Parts: sequence; C-alpha cells; structure tokens
Amino acid sequence: MTSDSTAEITELSSVDGSDALSATNTDLSTSLGVLQTLMNTVKKQVLGRDDVIELAIIALLADGHILLEDYPGSGKTTLAKALGDAIVSGTSTDEAIVPFRRIQFTPDLLPSDVTGVPVFDSNSNAFHFRHGPLFAHVVLADEINRTSPKVQSAMLEAMGEKQVTVDNVTYALDGLFFVIATQNPLDLVGTYPLPTPQLDRFLFKITMNHIDREAELDVLDTYKERRDFGDSLATVTRDEVLSARHEIDSGVSINPAIKTVLVDISRNLRSDDRVLQGNSTRSMVLLLPALQVSAALRGRNYVSAEDIELLLPRVLGHRIELAPGVADFEKVLADNMRDPMEQLARSTLTA
Amino acid sequence: MTVRAEHSSHHFLPTSLRAAIIASSFWVLSLSLSVVSGSVAAFVGCLFACYLVDLRLHQPPWNRFRTSSILCAGLLLWLVGIFTAQLLVSSQSVADLVSPMGAFNSSEFIKWFVISASITIGLRSLAHRTSYGAVLEILFVASAFVITLAAHRNGMIHRPFFIGDFALVRGIDPSAILMAFGCIAVLSLSALLMMESNQRRLPYHFAVLGILCFSLLAYVRLFGLPTPQLTDDLGLTGQQSGNGSPQENPFRDGEDTANDKEAPVAVVVFRDDYEPINGSYYFRESAYSQFNGSMLDFTTRQDMDQDLIEFFTNGRADTEQLPLSEDQRTAVRSTIGMLVPHRSPFGLESPIAYENVPNPNNLRFKRTYNSYSLAPEYDFEFLIGRETGREDWSDEVLQEYLALPDDPRYQELAESLISNLRPEFTEDPFAKSWAIKTYLDENGIYSLKNEHAYEPDPAASFLFGDLTGYCMHFSFAAAYMYRSIGIPTRVGVGYSVPASNRSGGSSLLIQAVHGHAWPEIYFRDIGWVIVDPAPQQTLVDMTTDPQNDLQQLLGDMLRNDASFEDFLESQQSSFISLQALLNVLYVSAILILTVAYLIKFYRLWVPSQAREPNQHRVSYRAVLDRLSAIGLHRRYGESRENFAARASQTAPTIKVMTHSHLACALGSDVPGHFDRMQWNALQRAISKEIHHNTVTWKKVLALLNPFSWLLTR
Repeated sequence: MTSDSTAEITELSSVDGSDALSATNTDLSTSLGVLQTLMNTVKKQVLGRDDVIELAIIALLADGHILLEDYPGSGKTTLAKALGDAIVSGTSTDEAIVPFRRIQFTPDLLPSDVTGVPVFDSNSNAFHFRHGPLFAHVVLADEINRTSPKVQSAMLEAMGEKQVTVDNVTYALDGLFFVIATQNPLDLVGTYPLPTPQLDRFLFKITMNHIDREAELDVLDTYKERRDFGDSLATVTRDEVLSARHEIDSGVSINPAIKTVLVDISRNLRSDDRVLQGNSTRSMVLLLPALQVSAALRGRNYVSAEDIELLLPRVLGHRIELAPGVADFEKVLADNMRDPMEQLARSTLTA
Repeated sequence: MTVRAEHSSHHFLPTSLRAAIIASSFWVLSLSLSVVSGSVAAFVGCLFACYLVDLRLHQPPWNRFRTSSILCAGLLLWLVGIFTAQLLVSSQSVADLVSPMGAFNSSEFIKWFVISASITIGLRSLAHRTSYGAVLEILFVASAFVITLAAHRNGMIHRPFFIGDFALVRGIDPSAILMAFGCIAVLSLSALLMMESNQRRLPYHFAVLGILCFSLLAYVRLFGLPTPQLTDDLGLTGQQSGNGSPQENPFRDGEDTANDKEAPVAVVVFRDDYEPINGSYYFRESAYSQFNGSMLDFTTRQDMDQDLIEFFTNGRADTEQLPLSEDQRTAVRSTIGMLVPHRSPFGLESPIAYENVPNPNNLRFKRTYNSYSLAPEYDFEFLIGRETGREDWSDEVLQEYLALPDDPRYQELAESLISNLRPEFTEDPFAKSWAIKTYLDENGIYSLKNEHAYEPDPAASFLFGDLTGYCMHFSFAAAYMYRSIGIPTRVGVGYSVPASNRSGGSSLLIQAVHGHAWPEIYFRDIGWVIVDPAPQQTLVDMTTDPQNDLQQLLGDMLRNDASFEDFLESQQSSFISLQALLNVLYVSAILILTVAYLIKFYRLWVPSQAREPNQHRVSYRAVLDRLSAIGLHRRYGESRENFAARASQTAPTIKVMTHSHLACALGSDVPGHFDRMQWNALQRAISKEIHHNTVTWKKVLALLNPFSWLLTR
C-alpha cells in the first residue's frame, strides 16, 4: 500500500470524525490496499484516464471482462499492459499461466492460435498440450472485431466458462482470467462485428474519449520516465487479487432494495417503446459484484445508488438495442431509472 | 411483452380527469332536461363508460371488435335502455310495485344512464381509434358549456335561468357564477386538449390560463361589471320615467334609437277581464296640458288634470276626479310590477286609484302596486254629438286647455281639414277631431330620425314641414290643431301596448318600445278620450317579437307573491349559506395549518427521543426538513449522495450524515453502534452550518413555512 493511498482512505473514513465507519471498513482494508495499489500503479503509466482505470479495476475485481472502444493510439494497449504488469504471479504453482498476454487479432487467426494446441512430443511419444495465449491473468485481445467468428466464439467459451476445450479435452483457465478487448469504432472494412451474445459476455463496454489538454501535455512531458518505470512500480500478486475478490464479495452487502431497483429498471427498459431489446438477466447478475467493488472502492461496505448511477450506463450501453430512430441511450436510461431510483431513495426513510 | 403495471397506473389520472370533464358535461346538459335522478345517472353512466373504454379497449376481447361494431353496440344499448325506460313508466304493475314517482325516477335514471353511456362509448372509442375522434369529444364538451350559457346570454331576461335563479334566490351575484362557468369551460377544454397531445410545456400554460381566469373573477368581484345602460331613457315618448324634470325638452333628436327596444319596463297582471276596443292597451302616467309659452308641459295649476295621481304613496291614493259615464266603463283591477323606476305610477286608462302591494321579489321589481281603472267600453260612435269640456271647469282652466302657440297656421290647417266634413258633422267636435286625426294618419310618416327638436316650435316644424316624426310630434301637432278649433285637449304620456301581445294570458309585458304619447280630448259627461293619430307610413320597424315566456314568467312572479316568498325561504334554508361555507373553510384552513406546524415541530423534536432502529431515519429526516425549509430538497429520482453533494455547499456535514444514514439503511451495519449522542451531534453541526450559511430572510421563511416538511423525500 502506498502512502498516498492510505491517506485517501483515512480521509474517506475520517470525514465524520468518528470511528464508527472506519471500524466497519477494517474488514475491507486488505482489499482496499489491493485496489489502491493497482490503481496507483496503472495511473502512473496511463495519464488522464482515471475513470477508465477505475472501471477496468472494478471489472477485474468483479470477475468481468471489458471492451474498450477508441481510436488508435489512445492508450488502450498501454492501459491493458499496465494492468497486466501490475499483477505478478506470486505463489501460483501453474507455470503455464503467465501474468500478461497480448493477442493481436487478424482475419487469418485460428482458434488454436488462441487456445493452444496439442503437439506431438517425439521424446515421450505423446501429445502435449501447448498452452495458448489465453492462459494468462490478463489477456489483451487487440482489435477483436478483426478476427473471424470462429475465433471469436472460442474466446466466448473462454470468457464465459473460464476454460478452453481442445480436442474434447477441457483445460481450466486461471481463476483470475481477465480479458481486455479493444476495437476500433471506425475502419470497419473487413471486420466481423461482435454478435450480441458475445457482447453480453463483456461486463463493461467503455467508449474512451480523447483525454483533455493538460493530460495530453503531461503524456508528452513524461513519456520517457514512464517508459523507464520498469520494475520500480508496486505490484500485487494474483492471490491478493483473488482474496480481495472474496473479501469484497463477503464484506460488501447488497440491500434487497438495490436488487429491486435493478430488476425494476430492467423491466422498465424492456417495456419502453424506444427499446427494441432489453438487457439480459445475466447482465444484472454480472453487475452485482461490480457494484460491490465500486462500493468498496469508495470505502463503503454497502452498495448504494451512487454505484448504480456509475455502473449501469457502462453495463447496459452495449446490451440495449434501441428502436429505429432513437439515438439517445442516456436519455432512455435516465427516464427508466428515475422512478426506481426515487423508490430506493425514499425507502431509506421508511421503516 | 410484459404487462406494464407502471404504465396503466400512469394513465389512470388523465383518464379520471377526462372522465370527470365529460361526465360534468353530461350532468350540465341533463340538468335542464331531467330530474335529479336523471342527472346523477348521466354523470355515473359517463364515468362508467369512460373507464370501461379507456381501461379495456386495448385488451381482449375489446380490441378484437371493429369500431363500427362498438358504435352499433352503443346504439343498441341506447335503444334497449330507452325501451326499458318507456316500459317502466307505461306499465301499471311497476307503478303499483314502487310508487309512480319511483317508477318515473328509475325510468329517468335508466334513460339517462344509457344515453350518456352510449354516447361516451361512441366518443371515447372514436377518440381512441380515429384521428378526428378527439375533436368530436372536445366539441361535445364545448357544446355543453355553450348550450348552458347561451340560455343566459341576456343575463336575467330570458329563460331558462337555472343558474341565474339559483344564484339570485340565494343572494349571490349570478355574473360571478356565469364567469366561473366560463373559466371552468376554458380550463376543461384546455385540459382535454392537453391530454390529447403530450406536450410537456402544457401544464405550465395551463397554470397561466388558470391564473388569468381567476384573476378575471377576482377583478369582477372587486370592481364589478360595467353598468349596462339603463332602460329609462329609451322610452320613445321622451318622458323621463326616472328622475326627469318637467323643464326638459320632451322632443329629442336622434337620441331615440331603437337599441334595446325590447327591454322590459313593467309587467301588468289583469285581475279583471278586459279587452280594449281600439286594439291597444293605454297606460297613462301623466299628461302635458299647460302651454308654457313654447310648448305643452306638466301643469302647475291645482285645478287642472285633477284625474292624475302624480306620486306614489305608501298606502292607497285616489284620484280627485272620477271619469264620467260609468255605465260605459268597466272597473278593472290590475297589479303592476315596475322593472324600471318611474317618477309617477301609471295604470290602465283611466286609472282612479293606486294601492301599494308587498313586493313579491324585490330583486326583480322596483315597485309593485295595484291599479284600479275605469276602462272605457264605448266605441267612437258614442262620442258623436257630444259637447267638449267639463261643466265645473272655470274659464281659466278651459282657456289653459285651449292655449296653443301663436301661430295662425294651426287654425288654418285645421279649418281647411274640417271644411270637407259633411254638413251634419260640421259642428261636431268628435267629427272634427277625427278629420284631423285622419289627415295625420294618411300623411304623417313615423320616424325616429327627425330634425325638429331645436326648432322654436318642433310641432310646427313637423306639421308644416316634412310631416316626419314620432309620437311626440304627432300628438303635439294634433293637440294644437284640436285646441285651435276650440276642443280642449292635452297630451297623455305613458305606454301603449298592442292587445295581441297579451296572447290570451292574464299578464302583459310592457317594453321600452311601447312608450307613447297621445292627444286626448275631454268630452262632456265622459271624460278624457284618446284620439290617437296612427301614421300609416313608417320608416322604422317598431315591432317586437312576442315575449310570451318572459311575460308569463314575470306575471307568475308578480301574481304568486306568497308562494314566491315561501320558495325563497325554502331555498335559503335548504342551502348552506355562503357564510357558513366560508366559516368551514376558515376553520379547516386553521386546522390544516395547526396540524402542519405540529407535524413540522414533531419531526424536528422526535430525534432527541428516538432509539434505534429508528434513530438513523428520524435524525436524517430532521436534517432534511431543515434543508427543505431553506429551499434545498432532493429532486425526483436524484440519489441521496448526489443531493448531499449539492447540499454540502450549505452544510458540509450533510455528506457524513448521509453516509451514516445510508450505512444503516442499506448496509448490513447493526443499527445501534452509532448512538443518539453522535446523531444529535451531527444534527447540531448541520444546524449550525445552515444557520451560518443562510441569509436571514430565508431563515425567517424556514421557520414560518408550515409545509416545508412536505418537500422532504
């Protein structure tokens, strides 16, 4: 845990001057340490993307995957790489699993290129499975829409089930299997747009915008130092991340009212005339751990409306299909959120 | 497709509003056509049909029917209902079973229920299924208002006045009710329009419209309506019925317009049978008899016009001089109700006594009195060969009745007119006067546009000029000519109403147009006899539509004096008086205020007494109340955190408080680890911050506003 992260946490918990809240937060302190370390490490390498970093880390801790959509050279790969580098294997016994892998997707890629392939070892006269790049903690799937649907569906199984099946043999992936996929919003010639079921596997789709002027200047000023950081940055181990996941899952409570809100919003969206297809039940299931991480990140041991407001647009943005002629997803969502959110807010004052 | 529970509840309010508006239209329309049970049925039927169509039309099995089938079903319902209603009143057994009144009431109920239900089903179905349907609906509601108000277009004059009478018998200004009606019409129609289109701005416009309407009402309440022109000065005889002075010029140019000529002046109820011989009822008010050097005027002598009764008295006033030849006259008693103030009483020619009677309705009648008359029954042949003048007149009086302007042309014309008489009539006064009247009848032209008023002698200007004028000119010219040949004459003024206006009833309406002046001659042993020129040519249309309804209504009102008093009383006792209503309003307002203050202070006080698991709620609520009072409250759908961030500019501690509150409410924290002292400390801190960061007037408002807590959510 770095010094300024500690300061931030103490600031969060000491605003009221009482020890009541910090007392409850001690349960989550390890997880908060992990979160802050990750956050700071990545922030040092990726400038001006604090919101995206936060979402990426939430997804990592919530056992989800993210899809980044941005223009080339905007730092997608840097972000993914920084996140991968911040996690070290630690005491992991499986030597086939590496901290970070990058797959550059092309149209001629084959599923075996991603999953791995059995090769014949002449010494032992037997087939050995050679692990593909998916066997890593953090996998960067660059330009995922450029590869064939065959490969994309291989990714689908891996992302959904945390396993790959080659020649009818199933190999388990790492418990901390986290995919950061990227795609280019323009340049769509010769691409295979991801089908809706596959989009549903991604917890967040994050559309990145150009960073602001100050941040851009900062990037130019510090590109050399950031290149030379090397091993000097703080890292967390795979086990720390997994235990943080567990801790957050058990330490952050989700009030039934929160679940009610999520279901009500989903139902409202599905019955809205402006929505062609609503969101899946799975999206709500995936959202729950993300809400917990978001709450933990803010030093809370309960999920609150704030978390929903932050995450819901990111979770539903790529899952909702709007009716023809309707463009403003933000407005549709806001309209459908208003009533349930009001109910939630009111519920806290009623016994 | 999921069932939209939220959406149907969302539509419930507009549906109810629309149903209420259409149902009110039915209620209003049925009021004048049916009894209470019918009106209630119309209202209920419309409500029923509205909800039925609005909530069921889009669900099976309704959505499978064609629009035309629904319309036909509505028509069928109508026919069946009418048939059933008819059966109820025509069948003897039903009347035996329940009373005849009950049968009638239930028949009306069924009839109006099906009428309103079937029309509503048709209108609502069309509004749902077609593009023009909503227009029909709005037209229907508008027509309900228009029909109701159209009956009142002349204020209190016309029938039906179920609104006007309702207000008048309770002492309320009907204009306020009518105006409120207009306002409600505007608001209802805009509400209907608003519900048809989903414009979000409309509620705002609607509010503005409402404020405009009610400020109009308030204006009228404060300053009243502009006073309409009085009908007094519309009398065509030029008489000043109200406050006229004798010195005023009775001839007026151009002022006698035909505007509002139908304005009612008085109503007469005949208590005895009488039919005038010459086709007109003459009501004499006074007479111009004394020549004052320029024209005829009211007499100043005590010994002239002794048959006239000049002023109202509290009791009975009798004339000093009775008309003669009583065997040729019939006694007629009539009751007269003046709708417009008059200087002198008037009565059917010839009045001999007036007697005040209690005013049955002093909202309508300015004065009511009985008039006793000896009305002539002789015809003109009876007058032939009669002497003129009264035996007991002194020479001076006779000379007064013969005085005329110093203009020889009157006598010349009169002499030339009577020179053609047959020899046996050359000395007969009546024949002479008849010859003169005939000349005026044949050559005079009746017109209200005349240019004689400012001549030294308007009558001469008329008679020797274009012979165009109105009754005043005719009567003066005739009177001067009669006088020039030695016939004692005066000009009577009052009203002359065609006998046909009575149309068989016992009451007779006198309107402004009936104001009249006529020459009358005194025949010995008979009395004053009207010899009235009636020009055959006229340039103005002075006919009026018979106002039989109004005539009958006013007559009934005048006649049934006792029953009307009873009616007033029964209405006033059955009606909750306005004052009582106001008192109820005041008391309830004070009650509401008191309760609101009690709730307000209870909510601020209760945190100091609360314990978990309620402590976090009541403490936080108290803080929110304080913020609401200074105008900071959570917007709809806003999260508590966002609100806290917003409010933290005023009271930074609210963030901590919100956090703690949510930790208790949403988190798994066991309530109770955070004790009352800590909550109260937080509360005090926020109070201090609010106190410090708020301007004084806001603090005062915050303290006074009894409803601030309503904003807390």
